[in-house]
Amino acid sequence: MALEPSQERVLQELLKPNSQMSRFSRKLDYFIIAIVMFAVMGAFHIHFMLTGGDWDFWVDWKDRQFWVTVTPIVLMIVIAAFQAIFYQHFRLPIGATLCGILLILGEWLNRYFGFYLWSHFPMSLVWPALVIPMCLWLDLVLHLSRSFILTAIIGALGFALMFPASNWAILAAFRVPIEVQGTLLSMADYIGFTFSRTATPEYLRIIERGTLRTFGGESTIIAAFFSGFVCMIMYAIWWNIGNYIAQLGWTNNRLKSFMGFKKDDNVTVAEGLGGKL
Amino acid sequence: MTTTAQALGDTSTYAKSENQKGDEVSSFFSARGAVIGVASVLALAVLARWYQGWASWDYGTESTSPEFSFYWMNLFYAQLILAATAFVAGIAYMWFTRDKDLTKITSKVELRRYSTFISMLVVYAFAFVFAGSFFAEQDAAWHQVVMRDTSFTPSHIVLFYGFFPLFIILGFTTYTYAMTRLPLYAKGVSIPLVLGTLGPMMVLPNVGYNEWGHAFWFMEEYFTAPLHWGFVVFGWSIMGLGGILVQLMSRISILMSDVFLPSPEPKTTAYTS
Repeated sequence: MALEPSQERVLQELLKPNSQMSRFSRKLDYFIIAIVMFAVMGAFHIHFMLTGGDWDFWVDWKDRQFWVTVTPIVLMIVIAAFQAIFYQHFRLPIGATLCGILLILGEWLNRYFGFYLWSHFPMSLVWPALVIPMCLWLDLVLHLSRSFILTAIIGALGFALMFPASNWAILAAFRVPIEVQGTLLSMADYIGFTFSRTATPEYLRIIERGTLRTFGGESTIIAAFFSGFVCMIMYAIWWNIGNYIAQLGWTNNRLKSFMGFKKDDNVTVAEGLGGKL
Repeated sequence: MTTTAQALGDTSTYAKSENQKGDEVSSFFSARGAVIGVASVLALAVLARWYQGWASWDYGTESTSPEFSFYWMNLFYAQLILAATAFVAGIAYMWFTRDKDLTKITSKVELRRYSTFISMLVVYAFAFVFAGSFFAEQDAAWHQVVMRDTSFTPSHIVLFYGFFPLFIILGFTTYTYAMTRLPLYAKGVSIPLVLGTLGPMMVLPNVGYNEWGHAFWFMEEYFTAPLHWGFVVFGWSIMGLGGILVQLMSRISILMSDVFLPSPEPKTTAYTS
């Protein structure tokens, strides 16, 4: 796409070191980065804690079935939308990684100040799962392929498959089988029983008795592949939703006469309409 | 060159003083407002978290006790009064000091106002971190161990009636600022701006549904329960900030070229179409 002459002049001025425009632009960058960081952190964290949070809060919920299946799927919702906004409009292939880092930051802040310092759960029970490696993978595929279709197929599948793999090093120690009062448990289950969560009695009824399948095995991989399949679909849907949101335009403001405008004054393309042109 | 102050005649003293500022970049884009705003929100959050740590276990586990009424319900009532006052005051201030003729505004003044608008968005987004992230997840930590015997628990009083109203007030004030000072946002209603600053407001009414469900369905504390998904949907609306950034970049790049590129002709931006 060719640049307008005025746009070229702006770019040339921006490239001049210490020009008024370049200094203004740099300052603007810092503010925009702050807005993006705070908004993504708040939006992504509230989304994740209320759609997949329970599996992430507790080590004994990090099972081979639902944790592995649900977490990548619900992560993909916001990540795909933000990746579309970042890549389509600003050509920044960092949307997923930024989401992952900020989610982890928000989670660690709360696991320490909330779960550990306020409610006195041990950190070994409430550590958040790692999501950054999967996010890096998703951004990498988008960056190299420049295609949202390929990212949906290859990136989203890898995103889900990498989730249990990247967390295994942390989780393995909690999957060690132990025998407690004649019952076979995982270490994670034992920690969960010890630090009782009085408001989740339901959990006590659905916990599995020890079988060999409890400790991982091929069922984790099966769950990850199923999650990858759903992630592909979710990626395609939410990429388009994110893209659509970023292009939303304007409607008429009935109060504009109070600010000196006439009834027929509307936002025009020449003024920098933004959104859908 | 006609200044805004000369052109507007009956406009607010706010706009007049705005045009008298210098041409240095620092006068266009001061970090002071954003830093003060962010520091204030952070101070409130630290204070609230300290109070929760101090008063929750000793006075916050039994809602029928006199101590609970003193330490927690009084805080709740005080927050309601403060929030309602600040909400009305913020919007009223922005409306009554509005620029009454935005048609003749100069690019320089407009660019300066965009800087203020962006600073307000920084503070708004920072407040949303505490409402959507920090105090929200902390709610899970508290209610996993303390059975709720009231809707107004030490966690809810700070989250739902403290930090939810705070970011809503900041969102509405920021929206009103844009509508009353920035020509584009006065002429049209930006859907991303509505989504990004007013949309998350709906999480507060959703508290009613949340408490209704907890009260009558005797919910166990699954955070992922469908009862909570209203918060998720309204939280998504802050993605509208992505659309606002696209609009901001489009407009600011034009204003930057007007203000900073050397030009033989003095520039004003025509807004009437």
